[in-house]
Amino acid sequence: MKRIVELTINGEPRDMAVETCRSLLDALRDDVGLTGTKKGCDVGDCGACTVLVDGEPVNACLMLAVEAEGRSVETIEGLQPGVDTLHPLQDAFMRHGASQCGFCTPGILMMAKKLLDDNPRPTDEDIRFGLSGNICRCTGYTKIFDAIKSAAREMEAARS
Amino acid sequence: MNMTTPIEKRDFKIVGKSVRRDDVLEKVTGEAQYTGDVKLTGTLHGKIKRAAIAHARIKSIDVSRALAYPGVKAVLTHENVPRVLHYGSPHPRSASCTKDQYILDDKVRFWGEGVAAVAAISEEIADEALDLIEVEYEPLPAVIEPEDAAQPGAPLIHDVGPGGNLVLDPVRVNRGDVEAGFALADFVLEGTFSGGRPHPAYMEPNVCIADWDGSNKLTFWTSTQSSFMVRGILAEVLGLPLTKVRVLVDHMGGGFGAKQDCFQHEFLCALLAKETRRPVKMEFTRHETFVAGRSRHPCKIWLKQGFKNDGTLVARDMKLVYDSGAYGSHGPGVTIVGTTAATSLYRCENVRLEGRCVYTNTPINGAFRGYGVVQSYYALDIQMDEAAERLGMDPAELKLKNVVRAGDIAPSGHPILGHGLEICIQHGVEKIGWKALRERDRTPDPKHPHIRKGWGIGCEMHGSSAYPGIKEQGNATVKVNEDGTVTLLTGAAGLGTGAHTALAQIVAEELGVRFEDVGTVHGDTDVVPWDIGAFASHTTYLVGTAAKMAAGKVRAAVLERAAMKLQVSPGEIDLSEGKVFVVAETDRCMTVAEAMGPSRGIPAANIVANGTYEPTKSYSFAAHFTEVDVDTETGIVEVKRVVPVHDIGRVIHPIAAQGQIEGGIQQGIGHTLTEDYVIDKKTGRSLNAGLVDYKMPLSMDMPDIETVILEAAPDPGGPWGAKGVGEDPIIAIGPSIANAIYDAIGVRFHHYPITPEDILKALREKDA
Ligand code: FES
Ligand code: FES
Repeated sequence: MKRIVELTINGEPRDMAVETCRSLLDALRDDVGLTGTKKGCDVGDCGACTVLVDGEPVNACLMLAVEAEGRSVETIEGLQPGVDTLHPLQDAFMRHGASQCGFCTPGILMMAKKLLDDNPRPTDEDIRFGLSGNICRCTGYTKIFDAIKSAAREMEAARS
Repeated sequence: MNMTTPIEKRDFKIVGKSVRRDDVLEKVTGEAQYTGDVKLTGTLHGKIKRAAIAHARIKSIDVSRALAYPGVKAVLTHENVPRVLHYGSPHPRSASCTKDQYILDDKVRFWGEGVAAVAAISEEIADEALDLIEVEYEPLPAVIEPEDAAQPGAPLIHDVGPGGNLVLDPVRVNRGDVEAGFALADFVLEGTFSGGRPHPAYMEPNVCIADWDGSNKLTFWTSTQSSFMVRGILAEVLGLPLTKVRVLVDHMGGGFGAKQDCFQHEFLCALLAKETRRPVKMEFTRHETFVAGRSRHPCKIWLKQGFKNDGTLVARDMKLVYDSGAYGSHGPGVTIVGTTAATSLYRCENVRLEGRCVYTNTPINGAFRGYGVVQSYYALDIQMDEAAERLGMDPAELKLKNVVRAGDIAPSGHPILGHGLEICIQHGVEKIGWKALRERDRTPDPKHPHIRKGWGIGCEMHGSSAYPGIKEQGNATVKVNEDGTVTLLTGAAGLGTGAHTALAQIVAEELGVRFEDVGTVHGDTDVVPWDIGAFASHTTYLVGTAAKMAAGKVRAAVLERAAMKLQVSPGEIDLSEGKVFVVAETDRCMTVAEAMGPSRGIPAANIVANGTYEPTKSYSFAAHFTEVDVDTETGIVEVKRVVPVHDIGRVIHPIAAQGQIEGGIQQGIGHTLTEDYVIDKKTGRSLNAGLVDYKMPLSMDMPDIETVILEAAPDPGGPWGAKGVGEDPIIAIGPSIANAIYDAIGVRFHHYPITPEDILKALREKDA
């Protein structure tokens, strides 16, 4: 059975007709066409599908699309502040080599955004803990940690 | 050729710099298109019915209810697919593969093997239809352990091959006289070693999409490291000319070696699409990536070595048994590479090796970073530490005494170039203050009395090509566009390593244009030159050299045209950063675009060149220095710090090279301590086929890694001396951890993963 879900995606009001059993991840990828969010497991184990729902990180594969009714969803496609500008995290990920195959990258960027939104000056431990639900199998995380620290510094500098 | 060609020296403009990778902007914005992101109108979803039995004959399959189910468009079983015996990993130039599989057979050889496939209008309907397929099995006795499979009279898994459940005839290597060597020995060490079944766990599950057009041409998107291999075998099995199969792959979410088979689901997807005349998408669940993907070959090793009291190694006798799982796949290659690798690393004149590869009724093992060598060097390196202990010698010193050096014969049969491994060990010893660490006060920290600290060294070497097992060929095409930009066409896969960027750097450097002016086209077998596949740490070395050759030809052609236009001889001009200029008179210059354009009756140029390279092999080296904390109360081993020292010859892109090393260490820590894809010994069923039960090191588990890359022994076989790096780190890290655990608690482990239970049990036994 399909239902109309009204929600905000990356700041734009949207409505989508979805099966009630459809996950938010499948709805985003297949119905809305936002394929930046990745499916690494579909059972909540990998974090590749991390999006922010009302500012909180969510594994989109574990949330039903109908549960997003009236809520605000942010995906990787909405991370750029403008068409030609990148979020400092995106820029830092490129400079530091934090993205290899890139399959984990959208989820990790969304998680990192949340981390820095809440905690602009994270310690190494904060970053490690913050990413503990996101699997990256390529990088050994070293360059991801570097990139997040560097982005945090730049964002701090931009604020002051 | 490798011995005599000098390495060209120059001041690099682009090589050696961590330029922005060509693929990362798309990756950080979510725009990068992976196979699963491709959307075709009217796509059906394909699903595979998997056997819940490890060994059986199929008596009957009833698909009538599934076919009648609303939304189901096609069902395939062994009764209606072509029956063509084929390879799993048909490396086109390797003689060692076995043709042992059918798309679907009337026999099941492992728990989870596909027995039927369905295409339906939704994934849910396809899944539901699978439950409606009724399969009647005649169970056969299953052999799960290689020892059992190798017993005389064991149930046979295949009718093909040399028999006795062997995948290939035993691989034997003999050098010198082993008995005479042992007669010279002052002492002999003998031990058995074993490795589990680590799984690559790339983040992107296998996925493919098949679409046939009206001319009966198959367009096939698939997440593969070897698109031309997939094209070749699909064409062969489906009976099509190569012009009728086009394989496409843009970005890949990792592969680590394991995405270089032609998989059962790939054939089934193509056939379902053919049958329904609609596009069909087949996407593995995470569970399927374990069950129907490929893991590392479990291995049992017996190793006996003789030493003199001065530390000289005089004899090595080694037997290895690799578990191939239910099909050959890369079993032959892994067995040959892993076994012959043991001729080397630590020099020994008298060597006898025997490698076997055995079928079992378990999921298929395949190629995975470190290809057979992870297993054999784990044993060699740990036993070297044991010898040091026995001699009362520093293991660093003993390893330095015995490591391969320039001129020694490598496993490939070629002389080793340079003292790369020696330099890596020496560098690491200095950097971490190894001597002082050896002599440190070992009293536990009173604040954490149950924590014991240890340090270990692990050494390795690895070839940057699959030669001589495979006669490799790298190809590249470079063309100059009318505006002076350059297009590189390559078949090398975009696994995520940054290979395309490295190739573009090489082209820009050799040609004399800016990096930004080189665009790369890849991932379309109809367009790019033939490629052997991304494996054996060889893309930069192999395809990089081909790209350099093509760029060199293009450069010469551009210079020739410019010389004509500038009315000088080509020898008088140079090309740099996209500008051609007269060397003696730098103001007399023109852009590449101007050189290309028509003028005074000379038509516009069409400059295209191919590079083709057939290399032998070079070797990269590494020594890892690893610090662990062993908790004697919980048995948990925490890797605290790793100093990996690598010689990879000329570094093309430092950050990408470091990324390979650090990611390899992450996987290797997992293999050594926590990762094992467990198969039930009775039923053959997978016990932990998921990312929670299969324990990988994640952000909380990573140590500090201080990567050191030395350009110690550049090899003229690669571009400006570049060698491979992809596989080295995962080989060195394992023994460094096992040796560090010994340093911490005085217990030797000969297997991986070394679990907390193993540590606690060993400590109890030691105390008793
Ligand atoms: S896809 Fe959602 S957690 Fe893995
Ligand atoms: S970059 Fe490949 S999984 Fe993280």
